[in-house]
Amino acid sequence: MSIGEALAAYLTAFWGASVTVENLTRIPGGAIRETYSFDAVKTGGERRGLILRRDPTGSLIDTDRTTEFLAYQSFQGLAPVPEPIVLEAECGPLERPFFIMSRVDGGTASSPFAPDPYAPHAEVLGRELFAILGRIAGADPSAMPIARAFTAPALDACWSRELDYWEEVILRDELHPQPIVRAALRRLRRNPPPPAQKLSVVHGDYRSGNFLHDGQGRVLAILDWEMAHLGDPLEDLAWCLDPLWSHFDDSRAAGTLPTAEAIRIWKAESGLTVDPKAFAWWRLFNSVKGQGIWTTSAKTFAEGGHDLVLGFSGLYTARRHDQIIADQLERLVVEEGWA
Amino acid sequence: MTPTAPELLHGCVAALATPPAPEEMGAFFAGKVAVAALLNTFAAQECATGSAVRVWENAALRTLLDDAAEAGDGDYSLAALDAANAELRRRLIRLHAAAEAAGDTALDRRILALYREMATRRMLHLPTAG
Repeated sequence: MSIGEALAAYLTAFWGASVTVENLTRIPGGAIRETYSFDAVKTGGERRGLILRRDPTGSLIDTDRTTEFLAYQSFQGLAPVPEPIVLEAECGPLERPFFIMSRVDGGTASSPFAPDPYAPHAEVLGRELFAILGRIAGADPSAMPIARAFTAPALDACWSRELDYWEEVILRDELHPQPIVRAALRRLRRNPPPPAQKLSVVHGDYRSGNFLHDGQGRVLAILDWEMAHLGDPLEDLAWCLDPLWSHFDDSRAAGTLPTAEAIRIWKAESGLTVDPKAFAWWRLFNSVKGQGIWTTSAKTFAEGGHDLVLGFSGLYTARRHDQIIADQLERLVVEEGWA
Repeated sequence: MTPTAPELLHGCVAALATPPAPEEMGAFFAGKVAVAALLNTFAAQECATGSAVRVWENAALRTLLDDAAEAGDGDYSLAALDAANAELRRRLIRLHAAAEAAGDTALDRRILALYREMATRRMLHLPTAG
């Protein structure tokens, strides 16, 4: 049975009405889940644009489809996100677990490595991008569906939980010795940040390339929540401001507006502060986290996973993050006095 | 270093030799071809400069490690240079951790400066980004 036929059978049973699937096409870019766009057409002609996210046979990182689905549920009305439709956790009709959500039409996700992809509306777009991130940071996660998926860390343990996790990933998947990231891991542990101001939902991969925009300066949807968790809200801000996502212009946040302005907007929307020492820690941590992702992608690719995005990530982005980490380490030790 | 140039090229061959399913034609396959082109560009950069970068790094590490016993790289294949590099990097990791533990600020900063140089020399370049 083809994917389209299996989808039609599944949705017919789910909705209790005959459904045909049209315009099924796989979408490029995702290295974590297989993503397909299609139209579900019910008897009588009602048509709905949908997205299928199916678990991969091999992926960059261990992610839980449930996390992403619950995140979409959690932020309905608070942030622009697709509507989650159904989550299928078993290996049912599509052979692997999957979920279906609404399709947001009329937008594009720019490559994070394209020079100046948001011109001439970059500043307008950036204001909205960082305002949305501020709203995510400021939201109370306790009553959200996504809170069910996690044990909330203590405010003074947000940093160590994340560092422990990514250190384990790096040590587990490292094929070639990586002295730069090893040095960063030691330094992060010796120079911990202050406790989080509050517990927030952390998107986990909020950055250029992971949102749809209309080309006129409007954000249509924040996507790719599979790494979401509860933690320190500075984590997301620091990841979004990582030089890897700057489109080769480090003066602008995620290729949009000046970094200071992005932080000002985030603070105003979230009601939170940005402690410089804490933020420095989270910036270095995020570069290390990135190196963790690329380390796993390199290992998967070398072992015969033929998703070419894994090869790109394991090589190019890994080397850029080595450079970013080396620059930060030297500055933090020599100029900021890190132990 | 991983992925190696041969791994990149073998991966491209395997990915492009697999006939796409009907739903994978169009944008998905075009995207796959575009990434394959990028990986070929990186493989070309590795072939052009990879040996020189590795010879430089291995020599720099031997100098730092004060390794008079090591004569240097005799086999200039990427695989042999990477094998030697892996051993030197393991020793660098141990040396740096020991320097930090001992409070040897001078050696610590020398190693941090070397990291920056190593990372810069290893950088690859996107066709459009320079």
